Amino acid sequence: MKKLLGAVFAGAVTIASGAFADDIVIGLSVDQLFESRVGVNNAIHAEAEDRGFEVIEVVADGDAQAQNAQIQSLIAQEVDAILVCAVDQNTIERALIAAQRAGIPVVAYDRDLPESRVVQAFVGPDSLFDGREAGRYMAEALSGVEGEVVLVELIGALNDQNGIDRSAGWREEIAALENVRIIEVPTDWDSSRALSGTQNAFQQSENIHGVFAATDTHIPAVETVLTDLGRLVPIGEEGHVVVTGINGSNDGYTATAAGTADGIVVMDLDTTGRTAVALAVELMAGNEVPRTNVIPGNFYTHDNIEENAAMIWGAP
Amino acid sequence: MTQLKTLLSRQKWLAAAIATIVLAALLSVMSPVFLTFSNFQSVLVQASVTAIMAIGMTYIILSGGIDISMGAILFFTSALFAQLMLDTSSYPLAFAAAISCATLLGALNGALVIWFRMSPLITTLATYSIYRGMAIHLTGAQNIPVPREMGFLGNGRILNIPVPIILLLIIFVIGIYLLNKTRFGVFVRALGNSQRSAEETNLPIGKVTITAYAIGGFVTGIAALVLLARVGGLQSGIGIGIEFTVIAAVILGGTKLTGGSGTIVGSVIGAVFLVLIDNGLNLMNASPYIYDIVRGGVLLAAVVVDRLSAYRAEQSLRSQRSARLRETAQA
Repeated sequence: MKKLLGAVFAGAVTIASGAFADDIVIGLSVDQLFESRVGVNNAIHAEAEDRGFEVIEVVADGDAQAQNAQIQSLIAQEVDAILVCAVDQNTIERALIAAQRAGIPVVAYDRDLPESRVVQAFVGPDSLFDGREAGRYMAEALSGVEGEVVLVELIGALNDQNGIDRSAGWREEIAALENVRIIEVPTDWDSSRALSGTQNAFQQSENIHGVFAATDTHIPAVETVLTDLGRLVPIGEEGHVVVTGINGSNDGYTATAAGTADGIVVMDLDTTGRTAVALAVELMAGNEVPRTNVIPGNFYTHDNIEENAAMIWGAP
Repeated sequence: MTQLKTLLSRQKWLAAAIATIVLAALLSVMSPVFLTFSNFQSVLVQASVTAIMAIGMTYIILSGGIDISMGAILFFTSALFAQLMLDTSSYPLAFAAAISCATLLGALNGALVIWFRMSPLITTLATYSIYRGMAIHLTGAQNIPVPREMGFLGNGRILNIPVPIILLLIIFVIGIYLLNKTRFGVFVRALGNSQRSAEETNLPIGKVTITAYAIGGFVTGIAALVLLARVGGLQSGIGIGIEFTVIAAVILGGTKLTGGSGTIVGSVIGAVFLVLIDNGLNLMNASPYIYDIVRGGVLLAAVVVDRLSAYRAEQSLRSQRSARLRETAQA
């Protein structure tokens, strides 16, 4: 996949050179702003700047109707391509169809729109792979546990494909454990819900062996609960609760480096953002591109996270 | 039975208390873990943030207002605190600035409502957007970890009681005193009962309104710091939608949405009730897909039962009054 992305990049850079670049305006439609989204957006801006493109960024702040109107506005401003991270697929589909009619290519990033008839390409994390990485580590770490293995899963949003895939991937690998019980905690990506859910889970079962956080920004909340219970034991010591997560934020990095978390899967935000622009360039030039472009994350553990800090977008 | 109805109509928080006890009894049958001291403590800690904010919201709703921007004030306060700690590492400065700002933002809501005679709903909907925007601008939507020592506010214990519960108790006692033992409390209820009467009797409407909103802001500031300490750092999703949970707690607790009538005890019970729902679902390892349905269903049922009992109590009082009038006429 990385070779394919490289080829897309190389072709796009060639096309982008010359007089073509100066007049190009990219419309960037963002669902809402949070740390990892800003990371991808920054990469989009950087890639666009490298190519001499202008970017018009609009943020819907979680409001699908607002995003619909914002995309209509981008069409009215005659942008050359639209990069979209959707709040809700159904609500913005009509606006995306209007973009198609205006001859504007649409690339979805970070969150796929699989049912859309308009989106020509998607680039985002390989959430199934990322979930598997976190699950494989946890299954191996707990393979020696005798009797029932109790795990807490802090699920992302139930209607978010990334959250669904992370969960599915993690469960695939966890299935290797015999006699496992999973306590599901819906969080809707909200750390305060993750906090209360983890607290309740530990009330339900004191003998919890591991916690999987669909986003590692929930890990400090897990640490709070473990501290409350006097169970915040670093990796390698007796009574340690195995904690893994996905994202690559400072929260995940700090906890893994300190040994209170075991490891995190780090998403490649820079490649995601830059590829989104590259795909748009290809489409503007009338070339065909792969519909789905997923970028697997890298799993770092307590043993190697500090030496790889430069690879982790949230590391200080 | 009639006495119970009369009691329920006078002490509106009782309905919420009964609903909470029924729910707790139900959960204790369904989960053996529910009725343990540690779970009880856990529920109170979880309810602390919502309950602290609900105390402030009670003043606002009692005075005839509403504050939709509370979640945004919580987010901005957290952002300001986290950013100041990052930049200066000074606890006194960060605490003072965060709490002062929260109070000021609350007071500003009240001032806008009074000065421009605007609808509290629309005013605070607008300031919600402004305050969230200010917080995002301040932090660049970045997550900011808070120093470990701050965890004392979220995890610490005094006399083996969790700090969030102690803070809730302090605010609860002060809140009750202020509402029931001071002229300000009387004015708040009077204003919520009838703004026209309040104007005609020359009540200091402006001061009362601004103070009620400022109290809401102040307690939101404290709740923000507790939540920040427990979550472990600032995240841009913090506080989204919490205002609706807070309003639900207040209304569940028997406070009239139109103002004038309600109690702080009821609001705190309402907050605990809402936490119990999630706690019960978690303890029963319920499917994550049914959480929203159960939460909404129980909330709706509680409000319907409350309204029905209030309606019946009113009907009963009316029929008693009619009977007395008939007796007087006959005499």
